[in-house]
Amino acid sequence: MLFDLDKKINEAIDDAASKSLWLYHINAGSCNGCDIEIVAALTPRYDAERLGCKLTGSPRQADIVLVSGPVTLQSRDRLIRTLAQVPEPYCLVTVGSCPCSGNVFKGSYAVCGPVDKYRHVDVSVAGCTPKPEAIMAGIAQAAAILKEKRKGMHE
Amino acid sequence: MIGFIQSVLNILLLPGLAFTLIASILLAGIDRVLVARMQRRVGPPVLQPLYDVLKCLGKETIVPRKANEKVFLLAPAVGLISVLVTAMFLPIGNVSAIRTNADMIVILYLLTLASVTLIVGSAASGSPFAGVGLSREMVAMISYELPLVMVMLTVGFVCGNGLATFSLAKIGAYQAANGPLLLNPVLWPAAIALLFVIPCEVGQQPFDIDEAETEICEGVLAEYSGKPLAQFKMMHNVKMYVMSGLFCALFLNIQTGFFLADILIYCVSCVLVTFVSMSVPHAVTARFRVEQVFKFYWTVVTGCAALSLILVWIGL
Repeated sequence: MLFDLDKKINEAIDDAASKSLWLYHINAGSCNGCDIEIVAALTPRYDAERLGCKLTGSPRQADIVLVSGPVTLQSRDRLIRTLAQVPEPYCLVTVGSCPCSGNVFKGSYAVCGPVDKYRHVDVSVAGCTPKPEAIMAGIAQAAAILKEKRKGMHE
Repeated sequence: MIGFIQSVLNILLLPGLAFTLIASILLAGIDRVLVARMQRRVGPPVLQPLYDVLKCLGKETIVPRKANEKVFLLAPAVGLISVLVTAMFLPIGNVSAIRTNADMIVILYLLTLASVTLIVGSAASGSPFAGVGLSREMVAMISYELPLVMVMLTVGFVCGNGLATFSLAKIGAYQAANGPLLLNPVLWPAAIALLFVIPCEVGQQPFDIDEAETEICEGVLAEYSGKPLAQFKMMHNVKMYVMSGLFCALFLNIQTGFFLADILIYCVSCVLVTFVSMSVPHAVTARFRVEQVFKFYWTVVTGCAALSLILVWIGL
């Protein structure tokens, strides 16, 4: 009986993990294009709050970390340090082509990307810049991954 | 014996714990849906606050190295308990879980305690963002405390026959005899003042200067994650219900004699108060600056509350 209750609560929490997604956005040297599209995805027109999304200002409260930009020399250490502050389980979603390949900045002396050199990337939304619809689709995929991650934590 | 069982049931079930938890989650969810509809979007599901709290429960709890661990982890629990206890004093019709001779004073202190736990918790987290947030929270407290006390005094004077009463039961009895106080034009400025106090006390959107996520990284909650964060989020939801319920108790206590009808009227008026005082300002205004909040509350809101107090004092 008690065991069942425990299991049910855990299931409810797993379920909630995919329904409440608080986004934290890190700009790792982006040109601001992707940042604007992320903000556009949160506006009433695309309404990311339908999925339970909320922009949060603190990495401690993030469930999904959105990274944009090709990871410049200046931002590399900050990116790594900020990601280390995010509590498990969380998903890392890269927005735009820069964080997954370097895009037009590839080969520059000041670019240390791609992001998956430093951290495992769960979803990567390509495009220069990706449409808000694509970002929303990426967030929805990350939600499913979050649920699996949360399940993995207590099994 | 029956009286004892009934009071235990009152505390645990109907006007008490279970009702408070369910009502506060639904009220917070309805508020978010209402804001979304006013901005012409679909909005989150009504149970979104429940998902938020459950999700936070399932996350890792990180205690920063600079933080004072005990205070950091205990503050949210004390805050949540204090608002839950506050909810016990709110009457539905003429039934309340706990009733004393000075409900309003206890409510005032417990609500302040909830804000103080937010300040203490953020001070213990050792983050500069939390430091800025807690100073802002203090400014907010200084802003809304005075009008809140004045509104309570005014209502107490009206219901107490010359002597101020602080008992919500007596205020309820007065309203049962003379109709809800909101129908009394002398008290309209006080009602308006309380409607403005509600969002600032709760920390809702136009007055959420203490956790402005775009300016100071969630401010007081900057270092909180996992279970303590869930407690603070739940505290926020319960506070929302408590403040709406307090308005209903002070101004809109309608008693029909049937308990079920009373519950229904109470719930509807709670939603109405939430809509007027929290959803509409949230949907139509941007966040105020710190000094704007301070100025607004010390001129307009305190002025409204004082007007009612003076009118009642000279016996209108």
